[in-house]
Amino acid sequence: MSIISELAAVRGVVAAGEYSYRGDRFTFEGQLDEDKARMASIMCRATTMAVHMQVDMMKGLGRDCGCAPARGWVVRGARFSVCVIANVFCFVDNEAASLNEVLELMRDKVPHQEGELV
Amino acid sequence: MPDLDSLMQLDGAMAAFRFSDKGELLEHRIAPGNELTPDILDLLCHVCVANMAIATMQARGWEKMTGMGGFYPIQGFSMVGFEWTAITGDGWGVVVPNARADFEAAWAALGQQGGGP
Amino acid sequence: MIKRLLALDGVLVVCQFRDDGALVGGYGMMDEAQMAGLAKFAHDYKRMVQGNADQLSMFTQMRGWTPPGGWLVRGPARSVCSVGNLVCVVDNAEASLNEIMQQLTEAAHW
Repeated sequence: MSIISELAAVRGVVAAGEYSYRGDRFTFEGQLDEDKARMASIMCRATTMAVHMQVDMMKGLGRDCGCAPARGWVVRGARFSVCVIANVFCFVDNEAASLNEVLELMRDKVPHQEGELV
Repeated sequence: MPDLDSLMQLDGAMAAFRFSDKGELLEHRIAPGNELTPDILDLLCHVCVANMAIATMQARGWEKMTGMGGFYPIQGFSMVGFEWTAITGDGWGVVVPNARADFEAAWAALGQQGGGP
Repeated sequence: MIKRLLALDGVLVVCQFRDDGALVGGYGMMDEAQMAGLAKFAHDYKRMVQGNADQLSMFTQMRGWTPPGGWLVRGPARSVCSVGNLVCVVDNAEASLNEIMQQLTEAAHW
């Protein structure tokens, strides 16, 4: 079972997907249509690029403080949250899902990103 | 209303901090024995404010475009670093090791509603 | 060629970077390590601006935002301007940003 299928099956996960760092492809499973999943992958990719830049700068400006390279990020909305580790994303329902469970699964199963983001 | 002492009570808390709308570090606590410094926390606050702003733009655009609500207003941003995770809400944040990151407890302590099932 | 940009009033540093962020070359008041840092920052920032422009385009359904022509960040005394794979640091008090952006745009197509 792929990490995307595994994530999509977790209680409270609305949808899970994966995007290429180059931005030329994406896959997803769950309760989003193709258009929404494409938009979600564009948004997640943009924030991931920004977060990588930011933590690299933190590392460069400060000392090696344990932040870089970034593993991912979470945005908490009023009802839904978006969780991203490397190039895997998922939308979760705050009330129905355990963010800890989702993030633990993602941190354990999604490989570390190494080198250039391609 | 969060406070630094209660945020430092979170499991594994390495640092707790408060920041301005512009991302300036206003006050902080750092647990002894870790590498975090006020300068690093100040940068971290700016990172969190920048991403909250971007996420707000995304939530606005997404909701108008798709009709799928529930994201706006953005309540928090968390950065999962290589070794530690920063979890921030409206003007407050905490840093914890990745392995001990309890997002639900942290966002509850940061004053955000809804902490999971 | 990009050295010519240093002749513009207020231009302190000009650098060219590769698509992977590595420094191709630079001139002005910075050492090699600082220029490499500026090149990496400009490369990363360019990708970030591209990402944001893509989203603006997607959400507004309005043409003309992408691909972004460049970016400019203004600080109290200095600004950083970039077009294509060129970036420069300028002194606000002496520089004409209009002229610099125009020259950067031309140089980016050399």
